[in-house]
Amino acid sequence: MEVLNGWWDDYFWGAIVVAEVFIASLFLMILFGLIGAGAKLSGSRLAQKTANTYTVIFRGTPEILVILLLYYGSAITLTAIAQIFNPEIRFVDVPPFWAGTIAISLIVGSYATETFRGAFLGVNPGSIEAARALGMSTLQTFIYIRIPEMWRIALPPFGNHMLSLTKDTALISIIGLNETLFVAKQAITVTGKPFTMYIVVGAIYLGFSTIITLSVMGIEKFGNRTSVGAK
Amino acid sequence: MSFDFNLILQSLPQMLAGLGITLQLLLVSGFLGLLLAILLLLMRISGKLYLNSIAQVYIFVFRGTPILVQIFIIYYGLPQFEAIRESMFWHILREPTGCAILALTLNTGAYVSEILRGGVLSVDKGLLEAGSALGMSARQKFIYITTPLATRLSLPAYSNDVISLLKSTALASTITITDMTGIARTIVADTYAPYEVFISLAVVYIIFTFGLQKLFGVIERYLSRHTVREE
Amino acid sequence: MNDNKTQPLIEMIRVNKFFGSFQALKNIDLEVYKGERIVICGPSGSGKSTLIRCINRLEKHNDGRINIDGIELTDKVENIDAVRREVGMVFQNFNLFPHMTIAKNLMIAQQLVRKTPKAEARQVAMQYLERVKIPEQADKYPIQLSGGQQQRVAIARALCMNPEIILFDEPTSALDPEMINEVLDVMVDLAKDGMTMVCVTHEMGFARSVADRVIFMDEGEIVEQATPQAFFDNPTNDRTKAFLNQILSH
Repeated sequence: MEVLNGWWDDYFWGAIVVAEVFIASLFLMILFGLIGAGAKLSGSRLAQKTANTYTVIFRGTPEILVILLLYYGSAITLTAIAQIFNPEIRFVDVPPFWAGTIAISLIVGSYATETFRGAFLGVNPGSIEAARALGMSTLQTFIYIRIPEMWRIALPPFGNHMLSLTKDTALISIIGLNETLFVAKQAITVTGKPFTMYIVVGAIYLGFSTIITLSVMGIEKFGNRTSVGAK
Repeated sequence: MSFDFNLILQSLPQMLAGLGITLQLLLVSGFLGLLLAILLLLMRISGKLYLNSIAQVYIFVFRGTPILVQIFIIYYGLPQFEAIRESMFWHILREPTGCAILALTLNTGAYVSEILRGGVLSVDKGLLEAGSALGMSARQKFIYITTPLATRLSLPAYSNDVISLLKSTALASTITITDMTGIARTIVADTYAPYEVFISLAVVYIIFTFGLQKLFGVIERYLSRHTVREE
Repeated sequence: MNDNKTQPLIEMIRVNKFFGSFQALKNIDLEVYKGERIVICGPSGSGKSTLIRCINRLEKHNDGRINIDGIELTDKVENIDAVRREVGMVFQNFNLFPHMTIAKNLMIAQQLVRKTPKAEARQVAMQYLERVKIPEQADKYPIQLSGGQQQRVAIARALCMNPEIILFDEPTSALDPEMINEVLDVMVDLAKDGMTMVCVTHEMGFARSVADRVIFMDEGEIVEQATPQAFFDNPTNDRTKAFLNQILSH
């Protein structure tokens, strides 16, 4: 265990990076998911086809491949563009943080598209009809009737998306992101104790997963406090 | 910046040479994982606290940590222990393929057991009551009522997990396995052409995913043939 | 009405049942003799379903004793199995096994519980399908049958096990109006053949013409029980009167 002394600091900062990726990708994932769901629900055939293509691509491609493609591909593209302006430039790359964050947001966002779409369609049509019959406008119906029911429906699968984002962060270590798995690799070259180091990584991610799961459970309880069967 | 189609034509056959390994990882881990999942399911519904708890902890750990970390722990971490190196399992555990299959099996087993459990819980309670009223024992109800119905109910979620498993096989490339992704990364390292190589590889995975979805669709329709009204 | 001094087939003595802190059955005393047809009615939540579900142990009573044909209903598995061999049940939602043919639905319990060989089980199945007048549906699946047909199959399924008693839990409540009669006809037939029946239902016409005794339950208690004539024409309890007013006024 003492072998870990001196590494706790690095692991801590690695964990901070995981949290940072989580926050950034959570925001983007919601954004992509809402845009995708909006497109699929829009009625415009072009929008639907585009959204469907988006979903098919990012649900059918391995995450690691998306990350590699985005990272190396963007580096090549940016370098080429930069060289137009300044031929001296040898290499421009996108920080692994952003290449990775955008990659996993696109991937989980494609699942979130389905979740949000399903939540929208899952709202009890009777409630909507009642609201319209009472004279509420489309916007009012959306804000006061649709959204409250939608987030409750979406919550369990959304919790899973958040867990996916967290775990996919480990993949970004492959392109050099300085999170916990990356720290572990460095620690191993010094200490020669791969099992110990990787177990710590596992424990850190398990900690994050647990926090997310408990939070979702808490929010679910809050959401259901007025539902049938709630005590 | 041009898109080098020639390169695609050259690299595809090379990458497809890795298809055999990808399939091997998918099918072996899928099958063993399913067996493990059934075992965990039976432990979860056994009614015996110690079995249920062990299964719950196992599932919690394997669903809460990134699969990449699990792969690293098994491939890089286990050799840290002399006991492992001298055991009879060593000849499997020193090979990257054996480690990858082990990691994928342990991981998918945890996810699939929860899917099966969801299916079991979804079986209409009334049918089980009818079985009880007719005098069937708990074991008889589980075999003749629960299992056939839960299997059909679990299928959609299970098919999603198989697709996830396919995508996870790409992670085997991180421990030197020459599956399709592993070969692709080598080609990109040589040619600096991430777009051509990775995009064409992504297309291969997408086609593969599409095929799996169609296959499961057929199976689902076959199993539901008596339970869906033909209008 | 049975007045020989034989033992009652169903005996419930000071039975209490709680769901958490809610008391569903309060000090229930009930005797049902062989050949009797009992109808239980009452508002929703009165405990009628709970009462009959305690008889075949789909619900577990917390207090008091239940005896079926002399067998006491306890936690002992042999007792529960013995009771379930004598008691059949027909559910509101039919609960036919969707993945088995009609014939298989009728055969499976015979084969598993009574260890009847397949050929004989099939014979018995066909016999009772004839009895409920739908033998031609034997090799179809439940989804292909109408609600009324499914419920008749459910009755046949219970009969295949040769029970002494059949419990009906609102057998026609989930049926479209035009199919209620085909099921009630089967039940009337059964009654004519002397089957002991305890039936929770809202079908007062059936109660009037078939029942030996009508029981009114409210808030977990048996409030009144009498012959149909006395019950419908001369209810004694105020709650009974209020209930009858509500359901018979349209």
